[in-house]
This record gives sequence, structure tokens and C-alpha cells, in this order.
Amino acid sequence: MNSKSKQIRGEELRKLVLLGIIVAIKIILSQFSFGPAMVKVGLGFIGSVMLGYLFGPIWGAVGGGISDLISSAIFGNQGGFFIGFTLTAMAAPLIYGLFFYKKPVEIWRIIVSTILVTIIVNIAMNTLWVSLLYGVDLKVALIQRIPKEAIVPWIQMVVIYFVLQALSRVKIKK
Amino acid sequence: MDPRGKLLATIFFVCIIFLANNWLSYSIICLFSLLAVWATKLKPKVFWDGVKPLIGLIFFTSLLQLFFTSGGEVYWKWWIFTCSSYGITNAVYIFIRFTLIILISTVMTVTTMPLEIADAMEWILTPLKIFKVPVDKIALVMSIALRFVPTLFDETFKIMNAQRSRGADFNNGGLIKRAKAIAPLLVPLFINSLQTAVDLSTAMEARGYRGSEGRTRYRVLNWSKYDLYNLGYFVILTVLLLIFRTH
Repeated sequence: MNSKSKQIRGEELRKLVLLGIIVAIKIILSQFSFGPAMVKVGLGFIGSVMLGYLFGPIWGAVGGGISDLISSAIFGNQGGFFIGFTLTAMAAPLIYGLFFYKKPVEIWRIIVSTILVTIIVNIAMNTLWVSLLYGVDLKVALIQRIPKEAIVPWIQMVVIYFVLQALSRVKIKK
Repeated sequence: MDPRGKLLATIFFVCIIFLANNWLSYSIICLFSLLAVWATKLKPKVFWDGVKPLIGLIFFTSLLQLFFTSGGEVYWKWWIFTCSSYGITNAVYIFIRFTLIILISTVMTVTTMPLEIADAMEWILTPLKIFKVPVDKIALVMSIALRFVPTLFDETFKIMNAQRSRGADFNNGGLIKRAKAIAPLLVPLFINSLQTAVDLSTAMEARGYRGSEGRTRYRVLNWSKYDLYNLGYFVILTVLLLIFRTH
């Protein structure tokens, strides 16, 4: 058997370990939120950006999925175990990965990727899951979600800009 | 009980709650979940803590559903809001469904250690090997993440306090100021994790880690007879729901 090619060593092992730790960071960040009480912005999206930026779409998506599983194991999943929300957690780093992985930090990338994530992930997918899981009308689930999703992305873009600049500085220094 | 049994049961529960669509099937599923809650012998407060963060959302969703579903007898109508018999039953169903799903997930997470849940998840992922998914690598990442969440939590608070002690402000200021305030938190955290990753992978290699192939397991999960009972109950529940739901 070609067991030699299946061995993990050196660079790859380091990458996997770092992925595990970044996933842990994402889980911790998603426990924090900032902003006035009306529109709390969770910091979990920073973790998604880090996953996408550092590991690319595929491993970023894997990391996102794992982060959802682990955080539900540790903190309990608010709103119940449902495979759909794991898919959601995978989709965001995937999109960020497509836009940021091995690419220069540019304003348009940040804007487009955040809008895409908001529309595809937060509006389309999460609404679909909520309506599936709880039997709520699609329309009802949308109405409840739209006000927040109209405000939060703009805040996220600003944060992502600073985060990516900080991260790229660290990356260059290394 | 075996965590795999519980995880399977929780996932299965979310699937079969779709089957309930009338009063009878909802009362059956309520009865079964209350039995499960009772069997844990935990204080009600534990479950209340699980529901509490979402209670606003649950009420809001039920209310919206109440006013936006039409059909049946109309009791009250104003502009786009209608309150009908159909809407009321629907809102109550959604309320029950929300609460039950949260209750059962709480039973799962409260009665199982995180490490056990992670092991169970790894077991459930194994069939993905057929599609060439690197399950062993995923399992490695999972256990590292699980291990480092508490450590990094401490680290985060330490960094926050250290930055605060020299004047950083994480809770005030405008949008851009707050966005900037995240960097002094994130950069040290990230640099620390880079260092930890290098150290840990070196340590793992030094201890003879060469990938997941051909390794033995120290923590082994064992099926018990209670898991069979549990899954048996679920089969009964499914059959009952299939019989009593309106088609």
C-alpha cells in the first residue's frame, strides 16, 4: 500500500495544528460581541475571515464546519443540532477563502465578499434552515432577519479591513 | 449512555419533529421529550438556562407567524395583520417545536462531556471516508480545537487585560474606533497561536506522530444496552408519529 504518501509530517502537520488553533480562536471570538444592545455584532465572522484568508476555500470550509461542531459540543448549540447550520458555518469561510486566499487585501474584495456572505449565508441559507427546522413561513423568517442583515454587513466590512491588514502584517513578519 | 447513541438520537429527533403536524402528534412528541428531560433528573433551571437566550426570538417568531398566516376563521384584522384560527394553531406549533428542539439539544449537551461529543462526531463522520474525505485529519483538527478553546479563552482575557492596563478601550468609541480596537486583541492572539502551532507540531513529531494511519485508540466508546433502549424508544416514537399525523 502507498502508506508513505498518506503520512502527515512537517509542513502539513504544522498547518493542521494551526488550523485547529484558528478554529479554537473562531469559537472564542463567536462568544464575544460588540456594539450597542440593539444591533449586537458577533465576532465569529472574524474567525471565518481568518480561516478563509489563511487556509483557502476548502480547508477554510472544513475548519468552519469543525468550529460549528466543536462549539455546539462545548457551549451547546443555540437552537438545536441541525446539519444545516454546519453547512452555513462552512459556506462563509469558503466564500471568504475564494476572495482573500493568496490575494492582496483590496477594498472591493472585502465589500463584495461580505455582501455575498450576507446574502448567500445569512439571508438565504439561515432563513431556509429556520423555516425548515421550525416550520416557520419563509416570509416570516425573512422579515425577522432583514433589519439586522441590512446594518451588520457594513460594520463587518470595516472590521474585516482592519483585521486583514493586521493579519497580513503578521504574515509578512513571519 | 454512549455519546454516539445520544448524538444519533438528537439528530434523529430533529428529523422526526418534521413529522408532527397535528395536535395528537405534537402531544406524543411532547410526552416523549418530557420523559427524556425527566430521565436526566436535572433541575428545571438547567433547561430554562438553555431556552432563556432564545426566548425573545421564539416569541417574536411565533407572533410574526401568528399575524402573517391567514386561513380559517378570522378573529381580528388590521392592515396586513390578521389573527385567524389557523394562525394561532400555527404559532403554538412553532412555539412548541422551538422549545422541544432546544430542550432535547440541552439534554444532549448537558449530560455529555465535550470530549465524548467530539469522539461521537468523529465516529459519525467515518462514513465520509468513502468520498475520500480526510476524516483522520478532521479528527485531529477537532481534538486540537477542543483542547485549545479553554487555553485560548484564558489567553484572550489576559491579552485584553494587558492591553486595557495600558489604555486600550474595547467597549467605547465609534464604529471605526471599535473596529481598530480589535487589532490589539487579535494580533497577539494570532502570533501566540502561530507559536503554539509550531511548538505543538514539533512536539508531536518528536513523539513519533506520522499521521493517523496505523495508530491505536486510547479512548474507546462502548455501546451499552441503554443505547438500544433509547433507539428503541425512538423507533416507537417514529411509528406513533407516522400513524397519527394527518396526511
